[in-house]
Amino acid sequence: MVSTRARSKHPLAEIIETLESGGALLPDSEENVLEVVGVLKSYAVVLDAYSNNLNYIAEHQFLVLFPFFKYFNGDVSAKKLFQHWWHDRFNYEFAEYCMKAMFWHGGGGLDAYLDTPEFVALAQAAIGAKLKGNLLMQGLSKAFPEFLIEQVRLLAYYSGLGQFWRVMSDIFTELSDRYDAGEISSIPEVVALVKEGLVKSASLPITYAVNIDGQSYDILPKSAGLTFLMDTAVPYVEAVFFKSFPFMGTVSYNAQARAIPSEPERFSYGVLYADPLPVGGAGIPPTLLMQDLRHHVPEYLHQFYRRSLRGEEDLRVMICVSFQKSMFCVTTAAILGLAPHSMDTEDPQEQKANRKYLEGWMDKLTDSRIAYVQVCEM
Amino acid sequence: MLSALIWIPIFCAAVIGLLPASVSSSRLRSLAIASISIVFAWSLYIATQFDVIDIGLQFQEDIPWLDSLGLTYRLGIDGLSLPLVILNNLLTIVALWCSDTSIQRPRLYYLLILIINSAVAGAFLAHNLLLFFLFYELELIPLYLLIGIWGGTRRGYAATKFLIYTAISGILILMSFLGLVWLSGSNTFEYNPLMSQGLPLTAQIILLGGILIGFGIKIPLFPFHTWLPDAHVEASTPISVLLAGVLLKLGTYGLIRFGLELFPQAWSVLAPWLAGWAVVSVLFGAFTAIAQTDMKKMVAYSSIGHMGFILLAVAAATPISLLGTVFQMVSHGLISGLLFVLVGVVYKTTGTRDINILQGLMTPERGLPIIGSLMVAGVMASAGIPGMTGFISEFLIFRGSFEVFPVQTLLSMVGTGLTAVYFLLLVNKVFFGRLPDALANLPRVSWSERLPGFGLALIIVILGLQPNWMVRWIETTTTAVINDFTTVAAHLPNPKTIDLPLTPAVSENPLPVRLN
Amino acid sequence: MHQFLINTSWWVPCYGLLAAILTLPWAVGLIRRTGPRPAAYLNILTTAIALIHGTFLFNAVWGQPPQYLEFQWLQAAGLDLSFALELSSISVGAMELVTGLSLLAQVYALGYLEKDWALARFFGLMGFFEAAMCGIALSDSLLLTYALLEVLTLSTYLLVGFWYAQPLVVTAARDAFLTKRVGDILLLMGVVALSTYSGSLNFSDLYQWAETAQPAPLVAALIGLSLIAGPTGKCAQFPLHLWLDEAMEGPNPASILRNSVVVGCGAFVLIKLQPIIVLSPVASGATIALGTMTAIGASLVSLAQIDIKRALSHSTSAYLGLVFIAVGVGWTDFAFILLFAHAIAKALLFMSIGSIIMTTTCQDLTEMGGLWKKMPATTGAFVVGSAGLIGLFPLGGFWALQRGIEDFWLVAPWLVAVILLVNGLTALSLTRVFRLVFLGEPQPKTRRAPEVPWTMAVPIVTLIVLTLLIPAILNELTLLPAFGLVNVPGVVLLVGSGLAGCVVGSLLKLNHTWTRPVQAPLRFLQDMLSYDFYIDRLYRVSVVWVVSSISRFSSWCDRYVIDGFVNLVGLASIFSGESLKYSVSGQYQAYMLTILIGVALLGAILTRSFW
Repeated sequence: MVSTRARSKHPLAEIIETLESGGALLPDSEENVLEVVGVLKSYAVVLDAYSNNLNYIAEHQFLVLFPFFKYFNGDVSAKKLFQHWWHDRFNYEFAEYCMKAMFWHGGGGLDAYLDTPEFVALAQAAIGAKLKGNLLMQGLSKAFPEFLIEQVRLLAYYSGLGQFWRVMSDIFTELSDRYDAGEISSIPEVVALVKEGLVKSASLPITYAVNIDGQSYDILPKSAGLTFLMDTAVPYVEAVFFKSFPFMGTVSYNAQARAIPSEPERFSYGVLYADPLPVGGAGIPPTLLMQDLRHHVPEYLHQFYRRSLRGEEDLRVMICVSFQKSMFCVTTAAILGLAPHSMDTEDPQEQKANRKYLEGWMDKLTDSRIAYVQVCEM
Repeated sequence: MLSALIWIPIFCAAVIGLLPASVSSSRLRSLAIASISIVFAWSLYIATQFDVIDIGLQFQEDIPWLDSLGLTYRLGIDGLSLPLVILNNLLTIVALWCSDTSIQRPRLYYLLILIINSAVAGAFLAHNLLLFFLFYELELIPLYLLIGIWGGTRRGYAATKFLIYTAISGILILMSFLGLVWLSGSNTFEYNPLMSQGLPLTAQIILLGGILIGFGIKIPLFPFHTWLPDAHVEASTPISVLLAGVLLKLGTYGLIRFGLELFPQAWSVLAPWLAGWAVVSVLFGAFTAIAQTDMKKMVAYSSIGHMGFILLAVAAATPISLLGTVFQMVSHGLISGLLFVLVGVVYKTTGTRDINILQGLMTPERGLPIIGSLMVAGVMASAGIPGMTGFISEFLIFRGSFEVFPVQTLLSMVGTGLTAVYFLLLVNKVFFGRLPDALANLPRVSWSERLPGFGLALIIVILGLQPNWMVRWIETTTTAVINDFTTVAAHLPNPKTIDLPLTPAVSENPLPVRLN
Repeated sequence: MHQFLINTSWWVPCYGLLAAILTLPWAVGLIRRTGPRPAAYLNILTTAIALIHGTFLFNAVWGQPPQYLEFQWLQAAGLDLSFALELSSISVGAMELVTGLSLLAQVYALGYLEKDWALARFFGLMGFFEAAMCGIALSDSLLLTYALLEVLTLSTYLLVGFWYAQPLVVTAARDAFLTKRVGDILLLMGVVALSTYSGSLNFSDLYQWAETAQPAPLVAALIGLSLIAGPTGKCAQFPLHLWLDEAMEGPNPASILRNSVVVGCGAFVLIKLQPIIVLSPVASGATIALGTMTAIGASLVSLAQIDIKRALSHSTSAYLGLVFIAVGVGWTDFAFILLFAHAIAKALLFMSIGSIIMTTTCQDLTEMGGLWKKMPATTGAFVVGSAGLIGLFPLGGFWALQRGIEDFWLVAPWLVAVILLVNGLTALSLTRVFRLVFLGEPQPKTRRAPEVPWTMAVPIVTLIVLTLLIPAILNELTLLPAFGLVNVPGVVLLVGSGLAGCVVGSLLKLNHTWTRPVQAPLRFLQDMLSYDFYIDRLYRVSVVWVVSSISRFSSWCDRYVIDGFVNLVGLASIFSGESLKYSVSGQYQAYMLTILIGVALLGAILTRSFW
């Protein structure tokens, strides 16, 4: 079947052909499956916590000036406080980091909606309700008209990402369960399952309302028509997988050095590009995620890691390598899910369209870590 | 009491030599460490019993040996030798600890190290010129073998170079000793600071010249230093620790004991030249270190620079500067020991010492972050950052020498500044930046490999914050040495009265000179 | 109680040090399963304790004559090295400023670095930093001060090098250390010389010595110049100023301290050394010359910067240049007030730009715009900080500069012109930055700009209030002139220069794209200013070139001349290759034999001499 198509001239032509013949960005091997499923199992737990917290903040910490307890999910006790101070907790800062990346890079319907007059009107209503009786904040809001509206936009993203991750967490849990049950044994099967999950929830509505003084205020109403796949998943992949932010620990922010592109579209610091080696060091935010993942890595994967040269010492780097692999699988699922036509189409026109579509993705992936994950080595 | 410091290691060396070949290398190492630990504890005990206000020799032992030769087994310890004896034992423990257990012929290896320990202790304790010389030579052959057998690829060249240089050093020293004894008409090799007094100045200067070059090779001073970088590069880590930390100190010790103390008059004549020589050595060592790309070579050249400070301070010969020299000997021993231990770990894990290849080793999970942090500490100590021993010794040396040789002192201080330059380049190149993929799979470093580094760093900081704990042992002796020196040096003989009989200036008004 | 506070004053610097040590388990990775934030909380706690302890101490020493504490450190061989502390309202006040700003910066860092896993190391270094600065504030011994300045150099190096994997950090940390170290070594020369001549290194003894001593003019000049060198490096004055620009690669919370109190520490030391420096007219002349050059040069350079941190850091150099001038002329009161006002205002400005960087992921002025509507605290901080820095009635900068004009009005009118120029240029520069960042239309990177979280906003707001209160504080400290005694023409000129700067700044045509002027001379000027007069290149072809050439030459000599000679003589080469073969393949006995032969030879040599 492959031979019926002309060879692509793209530098990543081999990968395009793999995708066209039903493969994934990550080569299929037993070890890769073990790593990907194992790390996604842990990721499911972490995403569950992140998602709950983002939703909690969006709904219960709406415009709270000093959100001391925003990571407590409403459960403030001495024990939890001590754990919090001892930093024995999920690093919810990383969830906010991803959310900020999505918010800052924008894209998709959610971003566009936040700039509409309807949204501003809804936000003003909620702000008005929240600030009732607080003259100081009312004054400040008057003097700096966009201040609180921008905060509400941010909260909308808290909610949007929280809802997105809810779905993803469930998909990954299902994946892990089915792997444990022996129903999944190859990378394409992993990709298929993720893709199926994404497609199934594609038109899930994204809505957000807050409760102030017993009254519900819509921020993202159903009428805005925001949906899961196009308005959160795609911008998320763009913002977090591809663009993200330059790490202060590896990239100079010096304007004269011009190390950072002046257009945010040209950013390429996302998960698929990041170098796993410096993880654990200074100025590398993904360390937070790896730290959270290490607590929930299943035993079989932990065993696998212990066999490495450094044993437990470089656990977070190895988790990051596995995580990057798994994100290539998720990206494959997204690529396949968004493809104009099914990959096994026989129609040459459709094949051509698919080829063009894939080449578009590959352009973005040229400088990513894709070359590194092709060889099965840490 | 003092003999134990010499004979316990010898005894243990004999035991190791007699053990069957089947005893494992790590057992042998534990045995060696245990025996040196006993000696170390013993030397600390001696320190507690040491009377810090007694200006004379303490715990003397005097056994006649070969009277016809004037050789007696005479030992004694004072504030000059005590810290060095303790340093010797400490660094031998470190060296043994860092020794690779998988080496070939472990029995011979540990035996030789123990012999070196014993010989160095003997040299610091001996108070007979010939006895000192015996111990001084005794350390040579084991070290030659340690470099020549367990060294790197060019070990043959380096070991032979070391052997020849040190042998020349020994011959020069011996000739000076013999000349001194003969010319002074003494019939014994007893250590006597007054021996040279009767000699004409020219003779004194010639004899002192032999001593200076002899010990100058050992220290080493420019231009007699070229054996040192080669020896360090080829020697394994423990041997480098011993070489830099302990054996070089024999040279500086000899400079004080047999140069300054034995030839006060000639010394005071040559002092300005010596200070100039020191400056050249300091600056040469520092500048050459900047151009090095091998970490070990860089540390070796830095040793040349730092030992130059000692010559400056001994040349100045003030109470403060001499106190500074002893402090500098100890702190250089500790700091260079630390640096060599750390370089050794880097070399062992990465397989290279080239600062242009190494990069980003500070990376926490895959690099060597703790070794890197210790390296920063060691480098800062070497550069004389306050809070660590390097600062105190350098400050004492500069402060003490400035009154006598202001210009030379200021020039030497430039050397301290340059130390910061090359060591900072080293740290920045090797430990900062991104870890290259070629170094991404380094083996792990165990805590036992880190331990010597931590221990040395801790001592460096503690003595740096609380120098009194060391100064009080040294001060009385160095002050007395300088008192003797200044009184004797004040009575310079007329260089023209070469063959005239002694003017009995000494006996007429007895000087407050220490007669051991 | 009073005596107890005095006797325990040395605890204050120790709090920071203690916290730095306590962070070690997290910093070296002993605690790996949980995160590093407890280390941060610990440091904030100890800094708060230090601040509270300091406040009590300040109350105890306020209005009292200075008291002294002395600790013996090292007495040997006739050398008496002791650490003396001076407890006066000035020294304790300076310490309070350090701990206060350190506390705010640390709380701020909790937000700024919330996603940085090396938090423990950062806070440990901040504790170390704070301890050194508190020590400098209290120290009454030149040796202790010198030691702490070196510690400050070290911790600057480590803080700038915090993000050690970032390529520009590597060079920035190196240059920061080496530049400061040049100053430190020169200062050490002065310390050694002073110690030799005066016999003591306590400031009070040194002052006494300075009153009676009649050193030769050359000696006095050299000592004076070497004493200036240390502060020159610390305060980023020409020619040791470039490190501050590069140090902006470091994390912003450290930049807050670096641009306010760290440079202040250098100036503080300079002020303490002033009675010795004035022994030589050459030295005080050099102080004024360096200060003037830096003040004007750095003000101009900051105008052409497109990096937001660098635009402000050069103005730090400029203000410290004014302090140098003040010390050179001998008006230390002006220097103190200026340092105080500058520290607080500059810290506030750096907090403001930190939150801009955090929000926009950008330091490039040309890529910003339109932030004011969305970020009230940040905007407020920038406006208040600017107003507090420049001579605009009635905040701190005004009173400080007004004091300077008063002081120089009769003795050195041309220095008044320098002050006015610096003030005008700073006003111009800040107005330019304000317009680029906060006004205009939002750009892609400033499109979504929510105000920073409370951990950063609280320190910002606190410092805004503090900056607004400075006139009241100065009044409380009786540092404001009596109402009738104000020099009206001076005030008019000062406010006029500030206003002129602001007006020119607001009328200036600003380009958001980094376009360069078409006319060659203008373009040359812009490039020259934005690249700091090309001084780094000057260094490269001078100092760096000389050192590296000498080192290459000496290395070549070593390799080919000295070692070549040795090998030529053949001492080593005879044996080099083959003779040691046996050592590889030989047997145990062979080695024993070698040793025996060696010992026998030795014996032969020994005895032969007596045959």
